[in-house]
Amino acid sequence: MRSLSNLVTVSAIALAASAGAIAAQDVAREDTVIFDLDRTIKDPENFNWFTPGTKRMHGAHQVMWEPLFILNYGTGELDPWLGTAITSNEAGDVWTLSLREGVAWSDGEAFNADDVVFTVNMALENEEISSREASTVRAQVASVEKVDDLTVTFTLNAPNPRFAVENFGVRIFGSFLIMPEHVWAGEDPATFAFYPPIGTGPYTYTSGATNRMIWDRNDDWWGAQTSFQDLPEPQRVIFLESGGEESRAQLMLANELDAAQNVSVGTFEAIQAQNPAVIAWYDTYPFAAADPCARQLEINTTIPPWDDANMRRAVAQIIDRTQIVNIAIEGATVPSKTMFAEYGSMAPFIDAVVEAGYGLPATADVEAGQTLIEAAGYTMGSDGIYEKDGEDLSVDIHVNSASIEYTKTIDMIVEQLNRAGIAARSIPVENGVFWGEVLPFGSYEMSYSWLSCGSVNEPWASMGRYTVKDVVPVGERSPGFNNTARWDGPAAEAYSEIVARIGDLPLGDPQVPGLVAEAYSHLDAEMPFIPLVQSAKLLPFNTTYWTGWPTAENYYNHPFFWWNHAHQIIHNLEKAE
Amino acid sequence: MTASIEPTPTAAEARKTARQMRRFDNPWLNPKLFWGAGLLLGIVALGILGRIFWDPDLVFTGSAMLKLPPVGFENLRGQAGTLANPLGTDGGGRDVLALLIIGAPNSLFVGVLASLIGMGLGIFLGFTAGFVGGRTDDVIRVLSDVMITIPPLLILVVFQSAFGDVSLTMMAFLIAGFVWQSPTRLIRAQVLSMRESGYVQMARLSGASTFHIMFREMLPNLVPYLFGSFIANVTTSIVTAVGLEVLGLGPQRIPTLGRTIYEAINAGALIQNLWWWWGIPTALLAVMFIGLLLINLGLDEVSNPRLRKLS
Repeated sequence: MRSLSNLVTVSAIALAASAGAIAAQDVAREDTVIFDLDRTIKDPENFNWFTPGTKRMHGAHQVMWEPLFILNYGTGELDPWLGTAITSNEAGDVWTLSLREGVAWSDGEAFNADDVVFTVNMALENEEISSREASTVRAQVASVEKVDDLTVTFTLNAPNPRFAVENFGVRIFGSFLIMPEHVWAGEDPATFAFYPPIGTGPYTYTSGATNRMIWDRNDDWWGAQTSFQDLPEPQRVIFLESGGEESRAQLMLANELDAAQNVSVGTFEAIQAQNPAVIAWYDTYPFAAADPCARQLEINTTIPPWDDANMRRAVAQIIDRTQIVNIAIEGATVPSKTMFAEYGSMAPFIDAVVEAGYGLPATADVEAGQTLIEAAGYTMGSDGIYEKDGEDLSVDIHVNSASIEYTKTIDMIVEQLNRAGIAARSIPVENGVFWGEVLPFGSYEMSYSWLSCGSVNEPWASMGRYTVKDVVPVGERSPGFNNTARWDGPAAEAYSEIVARIGDLPLGDPQVPGLVAEAYSHLDAEMPFIPLVQSAKLLPFNTTYWTGWPTAENYYNHPFFWWNHAHQIIHNLEKAE
Repeated sequence: MTASIEPTPTAAEARKTARQMRRFDNPWLNPKLFWGAGLLLGIVALGILGRIFWDPDLVFTGSAMLKLPPVGFENLRGQAGTLANPLGTDGGGRDVLALLIIGAPNSLFVGVLASLIGMGLGIFLGFTAGFVGGRTDDVIRVLSDVMITIPPLLILVVFQSAFGDVSLTMMAFLIAGFVWQSPTRLIRAQVLSMRESGYVQMARLSGASTFHIMFREMLPNLVPYLFGSFIANVTTSIVTAVGLEVLGLGPQRIPTLGRTIYEAINAGALIQNLWWWWGIPTALLAVMFIGLLLINLGLDEVSNPRLRKLS
């Protein structure tokens, strides 16, 4: 055992060393910070983030492209970055953005209102560019105008009190990134590769391969010259594909990784026992930080028998959320009561839904589920599986194989469904295939996702993702991963209508919780997706070379370092003594 | 004192004589064969008796507490093993003993089934090529020569990824597509040399049909070769199957030894020191392969008397 463990360690080190060797040149390990990447970079020489694929979370939007603002999860405020202020008129349909003075692209060109207007227009004019952020801008903005070099006004199609945070605030994962006009002008935004890429950030692209991206510090960065921020301390930033929990853990032990993607509680305890320099969000159980993307079972509502709302509700009844928490997440989270992330700021809406009787139970009611199945004409076969017209009731559940949290949760659900009489089986798929081919095109019956993710302090962002305007046929790409369940029909229309009303109300309007409950009655009746559990991310950070990681005690922002806000993390890192 | 100088037949010499005699005994009474068969039958018995005396439903996710150690050990959290799960549990709350009871025969089953199908194909094609000759021979020979150069694992990985979740039988069929070439070549070679032998000529002159000559006259003489080839194929098939399972391909919900190892590695069992999760299935696989190896060695001795030990 020991020797095998050593063998793995050695090979992990060898792997890291070889990856390092390619990059090596002359930056010392103690001047380098290495982040974990949980996916393969299919096309490392394409930085067109408007198109699908791994184009951003390999460092591009963490160290090279800067956002206009960053939503601070601790304070709930927008921290200014490339933008200094964004305000709306009384009606909420004209927004004025002020840009920071002295910002420059890494090639020396000035960053100004022209770039913003150009990039927004590119999103407005090109239907084929499909990233979520570009789709959102296209749906909301009627026109954009330059006032002067540092001021831009947006005229919206309809009043939207959340315009700034939704588009430019890194609320969830990314933000609408501004591209340099002098590089993109005249290119076809649907096919332009933008290689080599440039940005306004403190790091520039050095090299990339399918398993890593290397970024080196630009000592002439505008931010240091205008005293917006000091130069960040790391001279080099590497995003390295670690390839699974065991190798993540071994790289952490060998100090060849500074920030790792999610690991299970048991693995984290084992890492910490052998390398006390490794920390997480909390220093004690359950260690993990609450993630705003609650987990759910996504159902393709166009495929029989799951086009029958009662069949979907039957599945919802059969799922035992407490067992998922205990077995798949090792007790590190709680069952979801609604589709929303259970942040304090979301409590009024969650309470309204629960009080109206649409909250989800923490445990299963298998008999109620079976009654619904039997009412749909199924009879229990001798093998313990329901059948109708000689065919077994079966379902394939697609699951992203990148994390054992995902596969273990689906294994658990597969088990629960099989025991209740549904022949479920799990279909693990690679991360890129899952996000690129399975989910957006509806080529699944059910799948594990978190696509109602979006709301952090108001209900619309999540609820607005399942409206009828985003319904497309199976085989066509769902706009911005919205309504991949393809939920349609009278109930969905009634729901969409209420959600639209919520969208028109300002933040904090007292009518909102009541409307949320009203809209939720349709979700509860139709179950286009089944909320499962809250998400918690256990991200090991290594303090051997770098300190200043975000933690509950050092809460300058959340720790999800693959998001666009990771600029803040990089600027907070300090060399360990 | 002269009597002491005379060599007296000691017990050791008596054994030696006895051993020498074995060369002419029934060759099937071979100790290696016995041991090998014993080990494999042990695994089959584990599957059968286990299903009677142990609850096979414990193989499913969430049947017990997570990561419990075997009886007499403690895990990293300080929990001691209990008799409810004598060999411990894995990270999904599955009982390791139950995993072995269901998984080990499954792995053996895939190997034997794939090998049976492959052998069936191989016997048919080998005989046809060797006996019929001509164009048929050319086609079969070229086909098997080409197929033998293709690395099966590579193709199967692609196949299985495309199929997603496959059943054990499906997996056996896929593997069978890659284990028929060597029996085909072996049998073809034997048949070619046998075709010219006297008894075959005799049978032919007597007007026996091709089918009769192939399967009634020649096949019995090939039985030891066939057995040896069969066992070698079972080994190859199991290695291939386990290889696929360890990569996370193959059946998802049906437990197999390879899949158990895959899940252990994937879930960080090494760093968490959950040795029972990957170690016990690995040990059982080792037993299975040793059993197959012994049978193979034994069969060699059966078919080749010169290999039988003289002393």
